[in-house]
Amino acid sequence: MNTAELLTLQLRVILSLVLRETRATFGTSSFGYAWAVITPTASVAVLVILFSLIGRHAPFGSSLALFFATGILTLQFFTEVSSKLMTVFDANKALLTYPVIKDVDTILARALLISATYLVIMVIFYSALIAVGMAELPAQPEQLILVFFTTAFLGLGYGTLNAVIASLWDTWIQIEKVLTRPLFFISGIFYVPSQLPVRAQEVLQWNPILHLVEGFRHGFYPNYKTSILDMTYPAIVGAILLLLGLTGERLFRRSRF
Amino acid sequence: MLAFDRVSKVYKLKGVRKVILDDLSFAFPEDRNVAIMGKNGAGKSTMMRLLAGSEPPTTGHVYRSLRVSWPLGFAGGFNGSMTGIENIRFVSRIYGQDTERVIEYVKDFAELGPSLQLPIKTYSSGMKARLAFGLSMAINFQVYLIDEITAVGDETFRKKSNAVFQEKLKSSQIIMVSHSAATIKEYCDCGLLLNNGGVTFYDDVGDLLRDYKSL
Repeated sequence: MNTAELLTLQLRVILSLVLRETRATFGTSSFGYAWAVITPTASVAVLVILFSLIGRHAPFGSSLALFFATGILTLQFFTEVSSKLMTVFDANKALLTYPVIKDVDTILARALLISATYLVIMVIFYSALIAVGMAELPAQPEQLILVFFTTAFLGLGYGTLNAVIASLWDTWIQIEKVLTRPLFFISGIFYVPSQLPVRAQEVLQWNPILHLVEGFRHGFYPNYKTSILDMTYPAIVGAILLLLGLTGERLFRRSRF
Repeated sequence: MLAFDRVSKVYKLKGVRKVILDDLSFAFPEDRNVAIMGKNGAGKSTMMRLLAGSEPPTTGHVYRSLRVSWPLGFAGGFNGSMTGIENIRFVSRIYGQDTERVIEYVKDFAELGPSLQLPIKTYSSGMKARLAFGLSMAINFQVYLIDEITAVGDETFRKKSNAVFQEKLKSSQIIMVSHSAATIKEYCDCGLLLNNGGVTFYDDVGDLLRDYKSL
């Protein structure tokens, strides 16, 4: 087979896997997909209610809901992609019965499905906020699209590397959970990073997800000031992680079986 | 070409090291049907997975220039929560087949009737085997890898699958794992015997069956 044929084959396999995963993940009921949208919505709603109760105002803009959503949905999207990828080798072992399916296909298919799901979630969520007057139309939609893809890419890189590590050492799944728990606090979800002391900013800007959150807000609000934002940083981190992950997948392929 | 080049397969689990194949080099004859025999746990199914490419060897290479099926066994890669039809669609898609044609073929062949609309987890192992068998017959492979599933179903089904099989054998070859002497005699004209990591080739099925019995 030449390269073009192989690429067609891989594309065909990945798309078939996406369709299959959709069925397997969201179950037989059409309500299954609704849950995928309801869960993240509910977690944002709980946060908004909680912070309103203790009398907090939005750290930026007038809408607490919009401010949290731009932070938490971006983080959730990243976490969802990376954590679902971590277990991908084990979950899809039976599929490898069909020799045309390779491990990398199952990774890409899963990342694609979760990204598509989060695209739907975000469109519905932000449209709803705009419809009820809790948000204005985004100032730079193209920036939001860029941030969306970069988030997916970073999640793909981090998730692939984790999947390889977890296949060699399964305790890693638990350790990784503990290590990434602080992301909720250091990703600028309930504060404006640029308003923090300079020392804190210097440390926090190493977190690529903080840049994604900043990037999303910068694209949504017409006048969001950020002294930290650099979209090339999360993209480069994602590329390095993906490179390490794919190299690891190739190097340790034989020992996974 | 379908060949093993210095292939070793070792499983390590909880500190137990099990050698299934030890430095095996073997080219499968292209115009003959090959039986693979051996005791339980001798590595027959592993050999099938290596041949198909479902699994890489620990060291060495498997060379494959033919269109080889996936190993047709009871377990298979079916997703239990998806229906028969959905599983057929999935496999047809990954092999680039016309989905509707394959569905028609399997419907006609496997005779599972309305069960095809039910999740695979409700199927008996016989039904699963019929589905897997019908599905693979709908797709044209040059080599069919058959792991113990020919002896499924009742008399009529067996006759039917036999007829389809004979038709396929005109243009394809089979590599078959079975414990049944009758099945081996019917389909194969040479064979491999697996025993403690060692593999012996038999040009004659009679000799293979004799040595298999004396294991």
